[in-house]
Amino acid sequence: MRRQFLKGLAAVAAMGLTGLPAMAQDAQQFYAGKAIKWIVPYKPGGGYDEYSRLLAPYMEKYTGARIEIVNVPGAGGMKGANEIFNAPDDGLTVGIINGSAMVTNQLAEIKGARYKVADYNFLGRVAADVRVLVTSPNNGFGSLEDIMSSDSPIVLGATGLGGSTYVDAVIIGDVFKLKQKVVHGFNSSSDVRQALLRGDIHGMWGSLGSALSGAANGDHRIILQSGRGEIPGVGNVPSLFDYIEKAENKELAAEIMTAWDALNAVGRPVAAPPGIPEDRVAFLRDAFQKSMNDPDFLAKANSAERELSFADGATMATVAAQATQMSPEVEKLMIAAIRGEL
Amino acid sequence: MTIIEGLSSGFLQAISLDVLPYLVVGAVFGLIIGVIPGLSGHFAMAMAVTFLYSMEPGAGIAFLLGAHSTVAQGGGLTAILFSTPGTGQNAATLLDGPPMRDRGEVGLAVGAAMASCFLGATFGAIALAALLPVLRDVVLFFGPPEIFVLAFLALTFVAVLGKEDMTRSLIAALMGMLLAMIGLDNVTNTARFTMGSLTLEDGLAMVPVILGLFAVAEMFELWAQGGALAKKMENPLSARDTQRQIFSGILAAFKHSWLVIRCSTIGTVMGLIPGLGSAPAAFVAYGHAKQTSKNKELFGKGNIEGVIGAEAANDAVEGGALASTLAFGIPGSSSMAILLSGLFILGLETGPTMLNNHVDIVFIMIFTIIIGNLVGTLIGMFMVNPLSRATSIRATLMVPVLMVIIVTGAYASERSLFDIGVALVFGVLGYLMKVLNYSRAALLIGFVLGFAVEKNLYLALLLDGPLFFLQPIPLGLSILTLLFLGYNIYIIARDRRRAVK
Repeated sequence: MRRQFLKGLAAVAAMGLTGLPAMAQDAQQFYAGKAIKWIVPYKPGGGYDEYSRLLAPYMEKYTGARIEIVNVPGAGGMKGANEIFNAPDDGLTVGIINGSAMVTNQLAEIKGARYKVADYNFLGRVAADVRVLVTSPNNGFGSLEDIMSSDSPIVLGATGLGGSTYVDAVIIGDVFKLKQKVVHGFNSSSDVRQALLRGDIHGMWGSLGSALSGAANGDHRIILQSGRGEIPGVGNVPSLFDYIEKAENKELAAEIMTAWDALNAVGRPVAAPPGIPEDRVAFLRDAFQKSMNDPDFLAKANSAERELSFADGATMATVAAQATQMSPEVEKLMIAAIRGEL
Repeated sequence: MTIIEGLSSGFLQAISLDVLPYLVVGAVFGLIIGVIPGLSGHFAMAMAVTFLYSMEPGAGIAFLLGAHSTVAQGGGLTAILFSTPGTGQNAATLLDGPPMRDRGEVGLAVGAAMASCFLGATFGAIALAALLPVLRDVVLFFGPPEIFVLAFLALTFVAVLGKEDMTRSLIAALMGMLLAMIGLDNVTNTARFTMGSLTLEDGLAMVPVILGLFAVAEMFELWAQGGALAKKMENPLSARDTQRQIFSGILAAFKHSWLVIRCSTIGTVMGLIPGLGSAPAAFVAYGHAKQTSKNKELFGKGNIEGVIGAEAANDAVEGGALASTLAFGIPGSSSMAILLSGLFILGLETGPTMLNNHVDIVFIMIFTIIIGNLVGTLIGMFMVNPLSRATSIRATLMVPVLMVIIVTGAYASERSLFDIGVALVFGVLGYLMKVLNYSRAALLIGFVLGFAVEKNLYLALLLDGPLFFLQPIPLGLSILTLLFLGYNIYIIARDRRRAVK
């Protein structure tokens, strides 16, 4: 305690000498030696937890506060998102959220969503979602063309009704009028991957992060992606956006894909509740930006094979606001997909 | 790297000064976490993972897995001494451990439990090593149809557990299955039995349910009866007697080596199956021990075979559970998800990369399980003496202290106040069940397996149609299940006829 106080004092003194604006200095003083509760809305293990634990030491370094990581699993990440949103607005509670899922839950007015995505104070984004379609190497489904020209439907595995593995499958299937059968009800995406390896299913939609190692060692192949460009360690994977021409209703397809893209762009942001004093938000945003660009952190994230895609807090606020705005037609489709009515 | 090279290199690394100290520290840490009710291996690993960033791969793995592998041992210790299962997988130990304590055989029970843990873990680890060349095929053996039939087979063990009073056992088991239905069904997106509560949509968590059913219920009973935990003892055992008992307990585990091997096999196989976990493994092994024993009627009244079977199985799970994580990088449980995170942090790749290029790391894991459990056994034995003194303290002093620890454990595993309520409600239920002679083990088996049975039945039907059980492997398993069930029904009917005569 005392040591931390002294550390904080030293930091304050150092900063004071360099002549920061008075406001930032106040925030700095406020955070020195305090504890920031960092909520992870999932159990330990897995991407959100890992990103948070990787980042925590650097946030401590740049805020002068102690970061306490608290796992608050439940309701598919919504419990933690609720807890962040409704935390005291003193700036001592932040957390990472599943941005795209929280946006879609809000749109579909899922019961228990006690937050407004656009009203969070975003510190920034750790990573954007890149969604990929994964198949087994030898089952004949090597590209979207294969799926379109196949006589029998492709069987896709998914977790719960309305989960992202399910929503992606039905939306893309709807846009391109694919012959497909979506088998949902798997307990976790790990179970879906195991079913894929066994040949019970032909493919699955999932996050790039969890598909990478399987693709690198040849267990899976990634045949489509929501992003654009090369995937490190895997190579060139066609982007779904290159296929919009093949959809029946090109205009609607483009619109749906843009909305999907906007959702994926929300990705994994770090958020704080609304109503925090502006100087503290600015201070936290600054600390987050510095942490995300710390060479030490970058090296660690790289060795843990964690993709980063930094966006600052102000940008994130726009991205999140954009994601909630879609044309009524697209919104109807998205909501139907989430509710399992598509 | 060949397997033999990997084995020798892994062993040398595991006992080297760069790794062994971390392994020992991890094992002790896991033992302590295990002793605290409600805190499981998953919690121990989540805490340990924070320290990995500055570690070398070998040391990090040994530390992480060491912490995970001894948790069941610590949990067994508290299950026997305080009737409080340290973790879910020790719940089966409660059936025969505490009655032995009440007879003044604390040392015997703990010695047998510790040695069985070690033997079971070693068996599981060796089985994992032996399966390495075919590990990928073994993991892919289990799909929804197979898991459904196996979970159903495990469910039929209720028949063995509650033989004495079949009606009550079936009621308990079906109630357990109903409790498993609580929550949001992810197949239809329907909330079942949640009464509008958002918290209940995630279903009941296993830790507070087990703590309530067994530990809290035990506290209620102790409170109602008064006296001390070790009921029939005038004076606490002397240190020397305890020590002597521990050694005969260890000997007993070795004497029952055939039982240990069979129960360890059950544990390893159930560990291989994703989503089943170690709590049902211990109960199924317990059922098996009871079925094959000559002294069936002594089970539940302090039969050492019950302790040996349950403890051997719950540590043998470890080896099996590692398989899918190592072979494909697919975690079968939340603990394995953390292990996988840890491996990533240490810069290690799982899957074929690890099996082909880093077999030595796999063997470090295997030796960590073995050595970690050895350390746990040795230290656990020294903990018995001081801890067993506490069992002679009178209830009015002990109950409040233990209740605080239990409630904290219920809260800590998911940081949920709601779970404290769950533990207390199930405490009342457990107490009533005990008084009215309903099998809590049957309820727990129904609760844990009901979920797996339902989910996999749905998937099997969707993937392979209504005749999924006619495929060769599920068919074989189904026939086995029917034979087993038929045999048990026959035995029960025969016993009843004899009793009538």
